[in-house]
Amino acid sequence: MEKLTVDADGKITIPPEVIQKRGLHPGDELSLVESAEGLLVYQGGVDDKTSAWWNSLDQEQRLLAETDARRYESLSEHDRDAIWNEDADSIEAEAERDEIDLPTK
Amino acid sequence: MRLALSRPPTILQVEAANSYAYIATITNRLYITEQTSNILKRRTPTFAAPILADTRPLKKARYLRRWARRLTEFGFSSEDAIVLAYGSFGLDVESETVGVDAIITTDIRLADRYKQRNPEINNRFNDMITNLPEAYRQIRLPQVLTTATILTFV
Repeated sequence: MEKLTVDADGKITIPPEVIQKRGLHPGDELSLVESAEGLLVYQGGVDDKTSAWWNSLDQEQRLLAETDARRYESLSEHDRDAIWNEDADSIEAEAERDEIDLPTK
Repeated sequence: MRLALSRPPTILQVEAANSYAYIATITNRLYITEQTSNILKRRTPTFAAPILADTRPLKKARYLRRWARRLTEFGFSSEDAIVLAYGSFGLDVESETVGVDAIITTDIRLADRYKQRNPEINNRFNDMITNLPEAYRQIRLPQVLTTATILTFV
């Protein structure tokens, strides 16, 4: 984590090693987000892990991914929520039958 | 999904993906709930396989739901309460370990509520596990951290 100092004009200077490491160039746009943790600076683009996954896909897999993404995008908010609420766990006592005992040591 | 459509990720997605990538470098104990695992298994393998390969599903140990019901008394929704309860009563069958060190969420309000009510939650939790069989006395409460907090560790 880097510590930055705000100058009298409200500007901050990003250390040159971070500029180099992140491949930033003059004119590049960064997003400043106010969150509970403070101000966060985001660089656009895709993280290395996601890039590595995408680059590992062949043409056919990318096409399948694109088709599925388009299908998902065409769903209504209600239908998307339904997907993520499939098999939602009940917290009621009647549902406790699938709970398992901890192994005794 | 956005990548497949040649669109840049949203800021929330950048935050989540970067914190996930960081966490994956510091631990090989990444868990998801059974529900998430089941949902992912029904999705296109192209998207789901990398996450399923990195993570293990937790099983519900006895008393998970009882603790979830207690948590709803602190204002958590039943969906959030189940996830929080997995943090204590989620069982990794393979390693026979129970609970997790931290639950990572993009939900700032959930993390705030958990932090603010933590002394009361802690008391309620201790009251409950004191009355459980011996094997459950080792169980602990997890931390709840936001993805933004994780990025401050990088």
